[in-house]
Amino acid sequence: MRRSWILSILLVGLTAACGSGGKEAKGTKYRFAVIPKALDLPVFNYARTGAERAAKAIGNVEVIWRAPETADQLKQKEILESFITQRVDGIAISCTNGDFLTETINQAMEAGIPVITWDADAPKSKRIAYYGVDDFAAGKILGEEAAKLIGGKGKVAMITSIGAYNLRRRLDGVQESIKNYPGIQTVEIFDIKEDTVRCAEIIASATNKYGDLDAWISVGGWPIFSRNALDPIDPKRTKVACFDTIPPGPDILKAGKAQVLIGQKYFGWGEESVRLLSDIKAGKYPTKTIIDSGVDVVTQANVDEYIAQWQKLENP
Amino acid sequence: MELKPKMKEIWRVRELSTLVILIIEIAFFAWYLWPETDRSHPFLNWSNGILILKYSSIYGIAAIGAAMVIISGGVDLAPGAVIAMSGVVTGHLLVVSGYGLPVCVAGGVLVGLFSGLISSALVVLVRLPPFIATLGVMGITRGLAFIVTEGRYYDLSSKLPPGWRPAGVPADWLAPIVMVLLAAVFQILMKNFQWGRSVFALGGNETAALFSGIRIGRVKMLVYTLAGSLAAISGVILVLVQGQAKADLATGYELDIIASAVVGGASLSGGRGSVAGAVLGTLIFGVLRNALPQIPGATFYDRLIVGLVVVVIVVMDQLIAKKSREGR
Repeated sequence: MRRSWILSILLVGLTAACGSGGKEAKGTKYRFAVIPKALDLPVFNYARTGAERAAKAIGNVEVIWRAPETADQLKQKEILESFITQRVDGIAISCTNGDFLTETINQAMEAGIPVITWDADAPKSKRIAYYGVDDFAAGKILGEEAAKLIGGKGKVAMITSIGAYNLRRRLDGVQESIKNYPGIQTVEIFDIKEDTVRCAEIIASATNKYGDLDAWISVGGWPIFSRNALDPIDPKRTKVACFDTIPPGPDILKAGKAQVLIGQKYFGWGEESVRLLSDIKAGKYPTKTIIDSGVDVVTQANVDEYIAQWQKLENP
Repeated sequence: MELKPKMKEIWRVRELSTLVILIIEIAFFAWYLWPETDRSHPFLNWSNGILILKYSSIYGIAAIGAAMVIISGGVDLAPGAVIAMSGVVTGHLLVVSGYGLPVCVAGGVLVGLFSGLISSALVVLVRLPPFIATLGVMGITRGLAFIVTEGRYYDLSSKLPPGWRPAGVPADWLAPIVMVLLAAVFQILMKNFQWGRSVFALGGNETAALFSGIRIGRVKMLVYTLAGSLAAISGVILVLVQGQAKADLATGYELDIIASAVVGGASLSGGRGSVAGAVLGTLIFGVLRNALPQIPGATFYDRLIVGLVVVVIVVMDQLIAKKSREGR
């Protein structure tokens, strides 16, 4: 029996240490579940900041930030289903695999829980709205910028993570724009499975394999999430065009290791998601299903300005 | 017999102590998450119970096999990869080849059976340590799943009728029902049949088991083959219920499956453990996985808590076992 007592004491102690207490506060405070793809992807920390900031500003909103430790579609689905059984007041989710989550999102909607998607959509679902970039258009911009870097001809390798709808759309956009440049040859499309370490490994091994590579095009920010992933690349020989602009991305660009970064509205993912859900609870539904956040194109020409803007957003 | 010694005797039933931990855990979260407003209880409700069972069963079915392997003195690192590969093969046969469901299910389960056979052949015939043999099989199986899918996924939901109810039960109940049935069968097999006792004897002392006439090679072959098949059953059910088969499904689940068996009383040095305990172990983890995220601020703590729970339960189990040996 002693073992059971120790377990109980352990659970009480640790759970009490986790937060400000488990009991719900009295009053009509809305509980919004905000679910990124994974907890270990740095890009989502800014969305969390934005969500919590919006919740504080609105006043009667509590944000529950929850995701699998690493991107895992089954675990994300389990989390989504648990929020349905908990009867939260709204769900904002960045889908690891939109098709996989479609039925569950529909279940939430049928249970009266408004769902919006952000960053990565589930377009076949009944979600109320999607906030984020138009991934196809953003992919086209990325492809055009990359083509400009190499003068419209040469060998390129692409980096993606297979499974996420948004990344597939970006890749489609890149490939669509590259079609306009017959001189560009795609040597490989690498699936790095949302893993920054794997990404660094692939860049190093592929740089050895394809010594004559002219550009890397990444539809996600994995190459710039760590400062040394791009080190094996000779910037004079091979250019880098990459999605995402979170730190240390702009510093890496300033150091000349990358030439073009495409930025998203990271704080806005959380901030707008919470605002949208709050408006929906107040009966104000968005007029559009797809809310395009637009992108920022960051190059050597405007990187200092972008860093200054970022600092303002991070420490308002 | 006096009441006190009788109670002590009952308490020695390992599964009972695991069950008590599970009940205390549920009672704790029911109390801790009790809503003060007029909301329904976020944890203690029927649909949440089904949800916990649904996801725990994926680990639970495979944990039955893992427990048997651990009791026999081995370890199996392949169940996560087998879950993925069996799901992928089921998906491929259903979506691409267009076979009927029974053939697809059989194909998926056969993948696990072959995978288990290869593991056992490496352990018994090549005499590789189980850790190395199953590590290799894990890599090969996961690799094959990626080769088959080429990074795509198979949409099984498009091939199954809407509101599909296997044998008349809701799809969400399929995994829990199969888990309970398989746990009952293998618990009886392990406790009441000669073969089960051979597995315990093998794990307790392989040399003694050999000299007592147990055909240890045959027992090991069967244990690993059954473990592979059970992981495959889990994978087939997973993709049928979830409607999608993908090569990276269940990545890293092998450690959770082994941890469930250990929390349920299986000793990694072999000779001790229980199938029912392993299933209860998966439910202990299932409840933690479900309830911890509901606690404000626990998002980044739950891995720590789960790790500590494993350590505390296993350490206490060893202390109790030591005391019990000294008391004899």
